[in-house]
Amino acid sequence: MSAALDLSLREQAAAIAAGDVDPAELLEATLARIEQRNPALNAVVETFPERSREMLAAAPDGPLRGVPIVIKDEWPLPWRAQRFGAAELPVPTSPAESGPYLALRDAGATIVGVGNMHELGAGSTGNVSVYGPCRNPWDTERCPGGSSSGPAAAVAGRLVAGAVGADGLGSVRFPAAYCGLTGLKPTFGRSAMAGHHMALVTNLIVSGPLCADAADCRLLGSVLFGEDLAAGDAAGLRIGVVRDPVSEDVTPEVREACDAAIEDLRAETGGEVVEIALPDLEAATVAAILIINSESLNGTTVEGLNRLHPDLSPLARGTLKYRSLLPASAVVQAQRVRTLMRRRLAELFEEVDVIAWPTIPAPAPPLEVPMVELPSGTTTADQANVRGAALANLTGIPSISMPVGLSSERLPLALQLQAAWGRDELLLDTAEALERANGRRWVESKPPLAEAETTGV
Amino acid sequence: MEASEGTDDFIPAGLASLGIEADEVDLAVMAAVHQIFWPPILELLTLDTSEVVPERNPDLSQAPR
Repeated sequence: MSAALDLSLREQAAAIAAGDVDPAELLEATLARIEQRNPALNAVVETFPERSREMLAAAPDGPLRGVPIVIKDEWPLPWRAQRFGAAELPVPTSPAESGPYLALRDAGATIVGVGNMHELGAGSTGNVSVYGPCRNPWDTERCPGGSSSGPAAAVAGRLVAGAVGADGLGSVRFPAAYCGLTGLKPTFGRSAMAGHHMALVTNLIVSGPLCADAADCRLLGSVLFGEDLAAGDAAGLRIGVVRDPVSEDVTPEVREACDAAIEDLRAETGGEVVEIALPDLEAATVAAILIINSESLNGTTVEGLNRLHPDLSPLARGTLKYRSLLPASAVVQAQRVRTLMRRRLAELFEEVDVIAWPTIPAPAPPLEVPMVELPSGTTTADQANVRGAALANLTGIPSISMPVGLSSERLPLALQLQAAWGRDELLLDTAEALERANGRRWVESKPPLAEAETTGV
Repeated sequence: MEASEGTDDFIPAGLASLGIEADEVDLAVMAAVHQIFWPPILELLTLDTSEVVPERNPDLSQAPR
């Protein structure tokens, strides 16, 4: 069964459908592997073997029948309320049939565990959580990325072949990048979100797949979208590149890897690279932060802020209180900047098909000190990372992160592509074109932990 | 106004006006967050968006109309 555990998501699904793999054996082997590998990662914060066996027993003959999946601690399950990586949420939660749960159940998938996440979704590193820090399979002393830290570490460590994350300000793309995975932030509204405690107030957060490669993201994404994300052709791709701090204030290794990937992509698709201008990206980042912070106040009361759970981290406590002081004038201005950027992007996407820049300006920082060294100086990973991610959430466009290399310390490097609204399929086509161009070198690279010899699992 | 100067008034005054309690650790975190976020917020407020006609109930799943 060890071989089946290491198959891709689509291979597991196909092997089960063909009768070559017994899904019950795969489930038990997956649970055994979680037990074996998870202590080093803290990627999966809860398993529920009986619930998983019940899901499998009742699984319909869908595209993921019998395939084990990890879901982020961001949605309720019928037997478990989400905790959002925190000791307490600002709003009450309870077990429920969330949208991602229903999508997975109806596809025949088996939810085998809940993935760790950065506390309250408020960090790009994954080193702060009520469950303890999640660890990066490439180096367990490094950050796995956040906030979907557990889903990413679970896939990179090959506990499972696919996981569901959420992206409100880069939270699928950062951990995908740090862990060497492919992660899709869908167009706003296309993927299942029901049951999320902010689903009715957010204009930024979406669910999204984290997998080893684009074809697996296409399969899991199709389930989350509730529609087939058909494969197409990225021929003649027009790749927009922006020469500003988002693209330029990155480590030399990141710059080199991303430039090489863009050139590979251009050559593979017979396309062209077009230098474009996208002013006010920094304003867009602040606008996105303001909007998601104001959205996150939904249901928050003064009484609640005065009685925060003592086990919330000091950072979460202070930040929650600070959010309540954000001036309304700034939030209104943020909405205007959103309109401005949406209109600019609509015009730009007449000229180019995708906009490319590094997902992360530097590889995964240490868990203990999540700081990065950039040409502009030393800064927190959160401050550096958000600059490249916020635009997609602010405006609603889809975005994908894909691995494009390894640093000198053998940590993943990643390129991000963004496309016009509804062109999620093009991003997957483009990611597959890049995989062809580089011989799938990076999507097939595995961290030492996933290469380790196992005893039957 | 420098963020560090503004913290002295902005945070205590804001908390007091809303009736939000904060201990020393809370205040230290809030001051640090303020140092990071307030300057770009002020910068955002200086951006001229007078020509931008805001979208009414924008549909983020689609391009603007």
